Amino acid sequence: MTKRPPTLQATDKLAFLLSLVPWLIDRAQVSVAETAKHFGMTEQEIRDAVMLIAVSGIPGETHQYQDGDLFDIAWDRFEDDDEIVLTHLVAIDDSPRFSGREAAALIAGLQYLSALPENADRGAIDSLMAKLARGASTRPSEMAVEAGETDAAVALIREAVATGVQVEFDYVNSRGDHEHRHADPLRIESVDTDWYLRAWCHLRGAVRIFRLDRISALTLTALPIQFHVGDVPLPDELFEGSADDLFVTVEVTPAALSLIADYIPDDAERATVGDRVRTSVRVSHYHALKRLVAGLPGMVTVVEPPEARRAVVEWAAAGAARYGVEPG
Amino acid sequence: MSPGSAAGAPRVPVEERLFSLVLALLATDTGLTKNEILSTVQGYRQRYDHGGKNANLERQFERDKDDIRDLGVPLETIESPAESGNQHLRYRIPRGSYELPSDITFSVEETAILGLAAMVWREGALSTESRRALVKLRSLGGSSDEPVLGYAPTLRVRDSAFEPLRTALDKHQVVRFAYLKPGELESRVRTVIPLALVQHQGRWHLAAEETGTGAQRTFLLRRIVGQVAATGEIFDPRADDESARALRELEEVWSSHTAVVEVELESDAATRLRKRRGTVTAPSGALELHYSDLNIIADELAAFGPEVLVLSPVELRDAVRSRLVLTARNHRENAHD
Repeated sequence: MTKRPPTLQATDKLAFLLSLVPWLIDRAQVSVAETAKHFGMTEQEIRDAVMLIAVSGIPGETHQYQDGDLFDIAWDRFEDDDEIVLTHLVAIDDSPRFSGREAAALIAGLQYLSALPENADRGAIDSLMAKLARGASTRPSEMAVEAGETDAAVALIREAVATGVQVEFDYVNSRGDHEHRHADPLRIESVDTDWYLRAWCHLRGAVRIFRLDRISALTLTALPIQFHVGDVPLPDELFEGSADDLFVTVEVTPAALSLIADYIPDDAERATVGDRVRTSVRVSHYHALKRLVAGLPGMVTVVEPPEARRAVVEWAAAGAARYGVEPG
Repeated sequence: MSPGSAAGAPRVPVEERLFSLVLALLATDTGLTKNEILSTVQGYRQRYDHGGKNANLERQFERDKDDIRDLGVPLETIESPAESGNQHLRYRIPRGSYELPSDITFSVEETAILGLAAMVWREGALSTESRRALVKLRSLGGSSDEPVLGYAPTLRVRDSAFEPLRTALDKHQVVRFAYLKPGELESRVRTVIPLALVQHQGRWHLAAEETGTGAQRTFLLRRIVGQVAATGEIFDPRADDESARALRELEEVWSSHTAVVEVELESDAATRLRKRRGTVTAPSGALELHYSDLNIIADELAAFGPEVLVLSPVELRDAVRSRLVLTARNHRENAHD
């Protein structure tokens, strides 16, 4: 179990208590199980929260937290039936507002998602963002995110998921190989401006991830899908390691470390060599490596193995040759 | 219950103390003084010393106020007209600005899309804040069992300057940081009024105003070197929608820059650059691409190696060529080690 800082945990609990009370008020009676399900918490967490609410209140005229100054619940229902019935209320009637930062986080998320086919109704998204801003106790942080660019492929993939049919498409991998693929679409994923399709690939007989911008000639087939979301475990991480991965030692400027963080295994050693960090990256093949390294010129240098260096030299030299340069 | 017995008093959990404080301040119209709070509210009263030595408890109260305000609870300080001085300030939470206006409701569809919007943030403060916003959203009753099937979109904030800048933005603090301008070898210290944080083309930018000149500048967060420090100066918040303006301006810069490149047929570059937003295929087959920053697009195009030949502008052609030469040389020299 990872332990969060105590204050963070306490403020999160406070936000939950302030949210739980109005929800309970709106329901004359509700089971602990239903409450847990609704808020995505454990039943014990709900029981603990209810017990805390039941003994809380205001100091009152006597400053003694007398009975009438406290919340109360139907204890027998709680203890015998695991049901929550508030019988006395104090101070709180309605749900709390969002903080300006909370509203800003959701608004920026909505802006990013506004290009998804589901959000074609721009007016609905705008009114939702306006509602969040109005529901915040302070002005949302000045933060904005460009709409994620999703092409027509996303709408087609969504249609395939909805109707349960396979898709087929041409795919160019980072080696430059062209292949025709049949796949059961499982999930559309993204990181910033890069969009991916996670799918069961019938050619490979495994779950694979495809960059949307490497997919062309995407069409729906009449074949039913063999795997649904939920049939196969999908990883949380975008890039999963494979047993066939190659490990390459690199030297990186400290500023570029975060740019290659996805490729650095968690247990990789990091040693300082002059003004650089020596570590290792994991790649599926040298074709992926040469593109990665050539895109971070001067920031990442491959140390070993020699074949990896050679792949990078050949790639960069071939590129330079197009400008009539022979790098010496 | 016997108040005041500091020694041996049962420990009150932090959330109980905070919850009791919010309840007490919501219940008062005229406000409570600090002394009234410390001596009567659950969690403080157990530790209150009637002899007057309450410095620790007062500091606790200050921290609690900050924590509560961070949750979006509008804890107000009112000055008593008759008296003055710190001890006579009164505190309260006005119900009207605490409660979500009753006409704000969210449909099932809206709740589902907000759930997805919150999921976009996977790490850091933005993730904590969006999860908390979802708890408040559930308070309204909207069901969340309807997951938007088959999406896992994410936005990343990997720049260490992001959180300090966002805090400065929210608190209206002038900031100072060292910035490495593209093409320059040494970073230079800038002192600016932060106006907005915007993500454009996958990169975070700070729109800001230079304090000396009043000139508007845009900074790339990844080029900020070292720490962001608050100068201690506070600025007046702007009335305009600065983030929308900043995003619009970045978009204008992006569309005003066009590169023309030749791509190897059926290569990765051909597929991906053609699908890049705004790309136009010229009759010759060459691609016209938009970009914001010459150095960044030069890195991107260099990654494609021989699959791309830059035709124009000449500065970009030079930049890509010298990058490829550098990469080839760095790896050759190493090979001869």
